[in-house]
Amino acid sequence: MSIQSHLLLMAVFALFVATVGGVLLRDTARQQVRAGAEIFGSLMGGAIVLGWILYVFPL
Amino acid sequence: MAARSTPKRSTPAAPTKPLWLVYLVGWLIPGGGHLWLGRPRKGLVFLVALPAMFVIGLALEGRLFPFLPSEPLVALAALANVGSGLPYLIAQTLGFGAGRPVALTYDYGNAFIITAGLLNALVILDAHDIALGRK
Repeated sequence: MSIQSHLLLMAVFALFVATVGGVLLRDTARQQVRAGAEIFGSLMGGAIVLGWILYVFPL
Repeated sequence: MAARSTPKRSTPAAPTKPLWLVYLVGWLIPGGGHLWLGRPRKGLVFLVALPAMFVIGLALEGRLFPFLPSEPLVALAALANVGSGLPYLIAQTLGFGAGRPVALTYDYGNAFIITAGLLNALVILDAHDIALGRK
């Protein structure tokens, strides 16, 4: 596959996990979208924050 | 003297479908358990998303790990791979999933494939709860 952007691949991964997680955890469409958005935001936000921490304090 | 009423414990209703068959269908066809148990919307989402994750993982040159008891982490990854059900069996049969460790996307591919299998395990557990009338 020609996608080689780490950020894009991470976003695609987070999108799939958020979709399945949201649908799995909630029952109404509105709640599912909300839960999915929260999972997606947590994954992306967490990864970006962790990335900056590791940039400043490399292992 | 009035008899004290004891609170009844809520026991789940008897499953309408054989549980082992729910597990088998849910494992083989991601979302199949939900479709069979009358949750078509959830089932369709799983049916599209989980095999798509698996295929994207293969396209990113991820690997289907072998069962190596001497390498516990590899064995765990292999177990997670198996969780994808029919897509895994088809890929194994057709010889996909050799993986290319030097590929830039190798680790992403593995993450997609392993996560698809683990998410399917969660989906099967959800189908189990539905079959028991808990959800």
